[in-house]
Amino acid sequence: MATVSRDDTIFPPPLVAGDPTFGSITDTICRIVEKPPTIPWLVAFGAASTVLTMLLCAIAYLFWEGTGIWGLNNPVGWGWAIVNFVFWVGIGHAGTLISAVLFLFRQKWRTAINRFAEAMTIFAVICALVFPGIHVGRIWAAYWMLPLPNQMGMWPNFRSPLLWDVFAVSTYFTVSLLFWYVGLIPDLATLRDRAKGKLAFWAYGFFSLGWRGANRHWQNYERAYLILAGLATPLVLSVHTIVSFDFAVSVIPGWHTTIFPPYFVAGAIFSGFAMVLTLAVPSRKLFGLQDFITVRHIENMNKIILVTGTMVGYAYAMEFFIAWYSASPYEAFAFVNRAFGPYAWAYWIMVSCNVITPQLFWFKKIRTNIVLTFILSIFVNIGMWFERFVITMSLHRDFLPSSWDYFSPTLFDWAMLIGSFGLFFTLFILFLKFLPAVAIAEVKGVLPQANPHWEGYHKHAEGGAHHG
Amino acid sequence: MGHHKEFIDKPMLDAAVTGRAFKLAAVIGGVGLAATAAGLAMGEKEQFFFSWLVAFMVFTTISVGALFYTIIHHVARATYSAGLRRTAENVAANLPIMAVLFIPVILGMHTLYHWTHAEAVAEDPILQWKSGYLNDTFFLIRAAAYFAVWTALIWFFRRTSVAQDASGDVALTFKMRKYAPIGVLAVALSITFAGFDWAMSLDPHWFSTMFGVWTFAGSLVGFYAVQALMVLWLSKPGRYENTLTVGVRHDAGKLLFAFTIFWAYISFSQYYLIWYANIPEETAFFQHRLQGGWENVGRLVIIGHFLLPFWVLMSRHMKRNRTVLALGAGWMIVMHFVDLYYVIMPNFHTHGPHYHWMDLTALLGIGGLWLAFIIRRYQKAAGVAYRDPQLIASMEYDNA
Repeated sequence: MATVSRDDTIFPPPLVAGDPTFGSITDTICRIVEKPPTIPWLVAFGAASTVLTMLLCAIAYLFWEGTGIWGLNNPVGWGWAIVNFVFWVGIGHAGTLISAVLFLFRQKWRTAINRFAEAMTIFAVICALVFPGIHVGRIWAAYWMLPLPNQMGMWPNFRSPLLWDVFAVSTYFTVSLLFWYVGLIPDLATLRDRAKGKLAFWAYGFFSLGWRGANRHWQNYERAYLILAGLATPLVLSVHTIVSFDFAVSVIPGWHTTIFPPYFVAGAIFSGFAMVLTLAVPSRKLFGLQDFITVRHIENMNKIILVTGTMVGYAYAMEFFIAWYSASPYEAFAFVNRAFGPYAWAYWIMVSCNVITPQLFWFKKIRTNIVLTFILSIFVNIGMWFERFVITMSLHRDFLPSSWDYFSPTLFDWAMLIGSFGLFFTLFILFLKFLPAVAIAEVKGVLPQANPHWEGYHKHAEGGAHHG
Repeated sequence: MGHHKEFIDKPMLDAAVTGRAFKLAAVIGGVGLAATAAGLAMGEKEQFFFSWLVAFMVFTTISVGALFYTIIHHVARATYSAGLRRTAENVAANLPIMAVLFIPVILGMHTLYHWTHAEAVAEDPILQWKSGYLNDTFFLIRAAAYFAVWTALIWFFRRTSVAQDASGDVALTFKMRKYAPIGVLAVALSITFAGFDWAMSLDPHWFSTMFGVWTFAGSLVGFYAVQALMVLWLSKPGRYENTLTVGVRHDAGKLLFAFTIFWAYISFSQYYLIWYANIPEETAFFQHRLQGGWENVGRLVIIGHFLLPFWVLMSRHMKRNRTVLALGAGWMIVMHFVDLYYVIMPNFHTHGPHYHWMDLTALLGIGGLWLAFIIRRYQKAAGVAYRDPQLIASMEYDNA
């Protein structure tokens, strides 16, 4: 066989670059946690927590004054609160998808990115849960969302997908948190064993649950991880399916269409992977993780963005085609109004960012370009926020032309959208400092020398073929 | 590389094995087609066309599912499926045959599709609105386009794959990978609109954005069932027993299981959203299918196409057991037929199911012929892509 370059070999390049040893991996990842906070970290944390403070102030004023401070009006009774909720829940899909679905598919490249994708999931779901919580207006009655027995005999409407959301998202949050925590245990024990200070030793020791790395520990761990992955997979799909039901069970043109469940799930994966890239690209540079999150990882994620973005484009096309094919004047109006009505600007931002720009990832040069990846991932984040905005704004021209109106966000709408990013980044920046950002034990498992049949013990310098 | 495995099976199946199978398939196909033709000669024209359409759809969707699997293997750069891909190629290579078997559908267009009647369109504003899409000429142009795309794709992928048997050239794998992504797009769009044209437009007022995805989901369930049976047949002693390991069989079972769930998810979402919103123009579709006895077929679809296989195929032990996997896969092929029957046939027997012997003979006739053509390909080329550079690695997955 003729010699071929590394890119052309039939098997992909090794998952971990730079020929590391088990010890060097532990050192690289633990050092991020162990060294004192750097100036960039302090600046980032300061900025994020300032924005978070703005969110808290806006929420406090909302509780005092009521939802009238938002731009809601008569036909548009559902504004940015639902847009932001769906946006964040969507982002909260990638972590569990990477961890659970890619785990079941035995996609080993997931090991470098799963830890912080899972963390991102949990923080995104926290951001999402804020919005249904605060949008009820009478915050002291928020517990009515839960089916708690009470002497008034009042129950939530069990036929409403909004109630199923409460169950679906809280179940998803619980399982995602458990999944993340179970995966963390071996690494927490590593940090415990290396801890210099009393507090760190005590804290990591408490949460590592007495892990000693015994054979039996590993066996139980692997079993628990597999079961949680199996449980998390249907949950990932169910959450955004039910979120799509919030819209699709109605009789509103533009909301009621049968393709919504898989279309929403594809969109959620799409936006989640984009957010993983938005976070991974700067983090790997800042913390020197380039050997773990290699160009191959980034290229794989870009391919998933291309696939899911194209699925989303397919769904847009089907909606449009069937709106025409149905011969229903209301359906047709809803879509023509989206593309050419007062919100046409939002519609075309959505199409450009979700369908058109991701097509650039057809080119390997662009998929493997770190700067372009970062820029395009932000485009996807913007596009997916606008997708939910465009869908929600179907309300602005309802069946009664005399009540048509235009939704304009107020200062408080903006404060809460931007503020939710403050919450998200504050949590994420804290995570980077206090927990191992890459799954140490799992990355070691995909090294060639982890294979008991590895032939390279005597010629380690060559790197070794990792397949086999 | 720990356990060194290598390809030790004979590249070609024994002529006696394929000869027997070919004869059996050809006889079933011949008898089925003859009986169906007799039914047509006896004057049961309408029943003939509907029975034919159902059988045609069963095997066309399975073949398109095979085409999708052939291509997605290269898109995903999968290793595990290296031993399976020749089977998918051989099944998908039947698509040009399906184009020939589409001729009776063209001849029966007027019987099958209400929107082909000019007088019906004249008094129906909805059909007039749709006539830019639903008209005879454009319908035929589209059908020709679907078959052209499918034929071109399978011709390229199978020819390149068989060429690798001779040369073992890695460059051919890269060539297939290069064209695979665009192929996936083409298959996704063509099966969507084929579903709209051939099945959804039977009830020309009804519409669902999910219908294309539903057609696709059923196609893959049908194909994975066929694939599981083929793998069981090919992995018998003396055939490819060392290549198509228990791990490969397990994978075939997993695909069937996973896509059975996917199909259920899609079908349920479609039904549920229409039921919940309860808009008359959409619910009419299910209304027809929930009365006069059709509701029993619907129950069979729910239980037989989802609940039963879900519990049976979930277990690892069941998927690795030859008998259970064979029963499960065979059952799912029947269920794929029932599913399409439930969507297509109520357009003809509107007041309740009326089972006709031609439903069975058309299915066996097309199916036998379809299988015979597949077996022919095993007589002409190796039954696994035995010089695929990933084949050895695929044999090392034991799925333990």
